[in-house]
Amino acid sequence: MGADVMPKDLDIDSATLKEIYRQMSRIHEVDKAIQAGLSSGKFQFTYWPMTGQEAIPASIAPLITSDDYMVTIYRGIHDQVAKGVPLKGLFAEALGRENGVNKGKGGSPHISDPASGSMLTTAIVGAGTPIANGLALASKMRGSKAVTIVNFGDGATSIGAVHEAMNLAGVWKLPVIFLCQNNQMGEYTTIPEYTASKDFASRAAGYGFKGVKLDGNDPVAFHNGMKSVIDEVRAGNGPIFVEAVTMRLGLHAGVGFTNHLSKEDLAAAKAAWPVPCTRALLLERGICTEEELAAIDSAAKTEVQEAVAFALESAITGTDEMLLDVYGDPRVVPKRGQREKRAAEAPHTGETREMAMFEAVQDAQELALRLDDQVFFLGEDIGEPAGGVFKCFKGMQTKWGERIRPTPIAEQAIIGAATGAALVGMRPVAEIMFCDFVGVCLDQIMNHAAKQRYMSGGATTVPMTIRTIAGGDIGGFGEQHSQSTEATLLHYPGLKIVYPSTPTEAKGLLLSCIFDEDPCIQFESMMLTYATREEVPLGDYRIPLGVAKVKREGSDVSLITYGWQVMHCLAAAEELAKEGISAEVLDLRTLMPLDYDRILTSVEKTGRALVVHAATEFCGLGAEIASTINEAMFHKLKAPASRFGAAYAPIAYSKTIETAQIPHAGSIAARVRELVK
Amino acid sequence: MPTQLTIPKLQMSTTEGTLAEWLVDDGEEVEEGQPIYCLETDKSVQEIEAPASGRLTQKVPAGETYPVGTEIGEIA
Repeated sequence: MGADVMPKDLDIDSATLKEIYRQMSRIHEVDKAIQAGLSSGKFQFTYWPMTGQEAIPASIAPLITSDDYMVTIYRGIHDQVAKGVPLKGLFAEALGRENGVNKGKGGSPHISDPASGSMLTTAIVGAGTPIANGLALASKMRGSKAVTIVNFGDGATSIGAVHEAMNLAGVWKLPVIFLCQNNQMGEYTTIPEYTASKDFASRAAGYGFKGVKLDGNDPVAFHNGMKSVIDEVRAGNGPIFVEAVTMRLGLHAGVGFTNHLSKEDLAAAKAAWPVPCTRALLLERGICTEEELAAIDSAAKTEVQEAVAFALESAITGTDEMLLDVYGDPRVVPKRGQREKRAAEAPHTGETREMAMFEAVQDAQELALRLDDQVFFLGEDIGEPAGGVFKCFKGMQTKWGERIRPTPIAEQAIIGAATGAALVGMRPVAEIMFCDFVGVCLDQIMNHAAKQRYMSGGATTVPMTIRTIAGGDIGGFGEQHSQSTEATLLHYPGLKIVYPSTPTEAKGLLLSCIFDEDPCIQFESMMLTYATREEVPLGDYRIPLGVAKVKREGSDVSLITYGWQVMHCLAAAEELAKEGISAEVLDLRTLMPLDYDRILTSVEKTGRALVVHAATEFCGLGAEIASTINEAMFHKLKAPASRFGAAYAPIAYSKTIETAQIPHAGSIAARVRELVK
Repeated sequence: MPTQLTIPKLQMSTTEGTLAEWLVDDGEEVEEGQPIYCLETDKSVQEIEAPASGRLTQKVPAGETYPVGTEIGEIA
């Protein structure tokens, strides 16, 4: 039968429908093999069955290519199979094996296979949507005609990330399709219990774009509906929300049919199951003979059997992989007893100009835009006339156009867009106005940007940068704009963190971050943004990550610090010098990777160490560094290494309290006297 | 190659299961997909289907609780 033959009454050509069924059969065989493996005890992993939803990705498959991006969720094996993720690598991944598409390090809930366009699979409900925006943004900025399809369940429509993502996609007219697979249940909770909305498609209108509701169980109607949707989005008309109505026949997690439907409802749902229904349709309309269908099923079964055999033969991923793919360079990972030696920047001999930190940051940003056309900036208020709340973008939108992208007040959408664009090789730089706001986008940072390289076994990377301002010590900003949050972020392997204390270092570190292969965060302190001015090197000036710098030489005690506390430590050292105590001040500059070599070198000289930071002392970076010094140099120390950070309270609005709760020159000097006496 | 039957981990919280009842006699032929035993876990009772076709050998009696991974039979 030719491809152009339309069977009577069916608005689809025979070859396409047959191809859709072939994909459904492959998905069904994968589902069966997993359930059989789990129920026989041969496999042991958590499975979120997508039984009943096979028609959705199968009907889309003929409409897209591997150049189009796809994002899905833990209940997404059907999406991956239809998108073209190789089954051998897929099964090996689900079983945690070396030959998995992601080296067995992400498993079935975290498949990334860039070769097929299956870019990211998240196990955090709704969190794929902001990232899909970033993929779509990359396509749009590069002038590609690719579309991004992001799959999520109806349950995800309740979560904030989806709303932030829809709003941003609407305002930026991104080529993204929000594909809500409405399987009638959010985990174990049914629709009337979790939302008063009558449907989901109508929500799109609220964000200024089109929403359509399609029967996700009818391959013909769904394929045709998706054809117009994809054509429209590909043509550059902005995003579309698709509600694909289906029914989840399985449990939320586990094996077997759902126990949340009555016997009658389950029987009805099974009767509408698209896999047997489509097979029957092909037979009934004379499109395929029973022999042809049996051949399709048998080929799918063989493919799956070969994939399972391949997976079981592959070795279980071993501990040699444990510390690989945390960062591009495994030497960044801190290890007990390791003193990684890194070369410092060469002294600058070229031209300089006097700048404050905010001007030095702008200088770095201008340069990055000139150096690489894949660099772009996004953040709140960074367009004209504001030019950024901290004035780091003054005049830049006029000059650079769409590469300076003011955003809605929606940090999840900002970080997700940066992550998605970075996944396909752009170098986005996001401004998060205050570092307290990492609280509203922490999922995007810690579960996605930080973990993606590891979860994908190095198949994908996230070379993005976040700049954020730390308040504190100024007074009047209050508890939610004054906290130092670096210790929180240091707890998430995968992130690199820098914290400059001078305009020159703000420029040099930021440029290194922007061109780094891993997600980086630059903290800039409000105390220093406008206050200090110095001669800053012009041109491409970079300071390597992971290199601390002695800011004052001394012989009695090492003050190990960073950010605006460098200023307080230098003042304390000055005060102590008058009493005959010689304090060395070591500015860490980078917090991850941490420069243990220069830390220990300094303490070897002085025999005493106090780590000082503005962040809460309890469980802070100071405790980590002091502990390492004590372990590494116990017999050589004149006093135990100690730490000094903020008192254990939110940063108070009262200037009197705030000044007392954060280390200052006087209190630092007092702590040093105790160590030296 | 015989297919081993072991107490499966059907849900995240499963650590053990009770083989409530064999639905097929020892030594009988089974078809892939045919329910072969009932498994009781903390949440529910479920019929477990044969992962392959062949002759079922029961290796443990019904009515007992076994940890996940215990071999209970095979299909050859």
